[in-house]
Amino acid sequence: MPTLATAPEWLTQSSLLLQARPSTTRITTKYSFPRRPNPLSKSKSKSTPPEPSATPSSKPPPAATLTLKTYDPTSGATLKYQTNKAAEVGRLIQILGRLARPMAGLPGLKEEDIAMLEAPTGGEAGGSGIATPIVEAEKPLGGGAAKGNAPAGGASGKKGKKKGKK
Amino acid sequence: MSKHLNNDDFFHKLSDLFESTTHSSIYLTQKRMTYGAEVPNPGSDTKFPDATLPEPTSIVIRASNGENKQGRKEGKKVKLSTIVEADALAGFFAKYADVCKSRMSGLKKRDRSKAKEKLKAKKKKLGAGEVK
Repeated sequence: MPTLATAPEWLTQSSLLLQARPSTTRITTKYSFPRRPNPLSKSKSKSTPPEPSATPSSKPPPAATLTLKTYDPTSGATLKYQTNKAAEVGRLIQILGRLARPMAGLPGLKEEDIAMLEAPTGGEAGGSGIATPIVEAEKPLGGGAAKGNAPAGGASGKKGKKKGKK
Repeated sequence: MSKHLNNDDFFHKLSDLFESTTHSSIYLTQKRMTYGAEVPNPGSDTKFPDATLPEPTSIVIRASNGENKQGRKEGKKVKLSTIVEADALAGFFAKYADVCKSRMSGLKKRDRSKAKEKLKAKKKKLGAGEVK
């Protein structure tokens, strides 16, 4: 069960997994508070001599954690990423939104640079080798389903407008 | 199984869930909506039969507080779900991000104050010392 070091890395790996198994892969976001120390296990902690510095009574409580997990039950592939930084939440949800597109059968967004929030929509030069075939494959479909929703370019344009309003 | 909520109700309930949870975990899941849909077997002739769909489909978002059997008996278990259509994804995730950003308050804040101020103070002291 690999835990990836960075969010962009998790995104690329997850999108690869989603491309292979779009209808069985699921993404779980776990927001969890740290475990409260078990009051019954006091005797144990006494037996192991605690370090002098390891008795912080005035320290703030440990932060909650956010764990992203992509799991495909048919192949058993699991990808994880964990963070405890509040500053990353917005970016991570944005990534979830991006990964939801292949899940829904839409062509993926073309922006190359994942880490940047304000990536220009024009940055579509040579998308990753894996992304391109799907885009091509879905092009004719996009025409068929155009009555309901805008094609990929239009969708990203919408996004930009919304941001501008806020 | 409980019924799916519409997106707005889901956000309301999700906010409540975040507020009521103080020590355990919250699980949020997203997956392609395949219930009732025929999913081709991966072992069939085409390599990835589900890679290209004739039409965009919807995804299902679930939220739960991960209570166990005991919690379920005590009525503490919360399970929410909603279905997001393909053309509503962008709007949904924008709202989703807002809810999560404002409710996931247990995470580490970016510490703008202490460390930086200390550094600044140090630099000032050093600078003053040199001048004198």
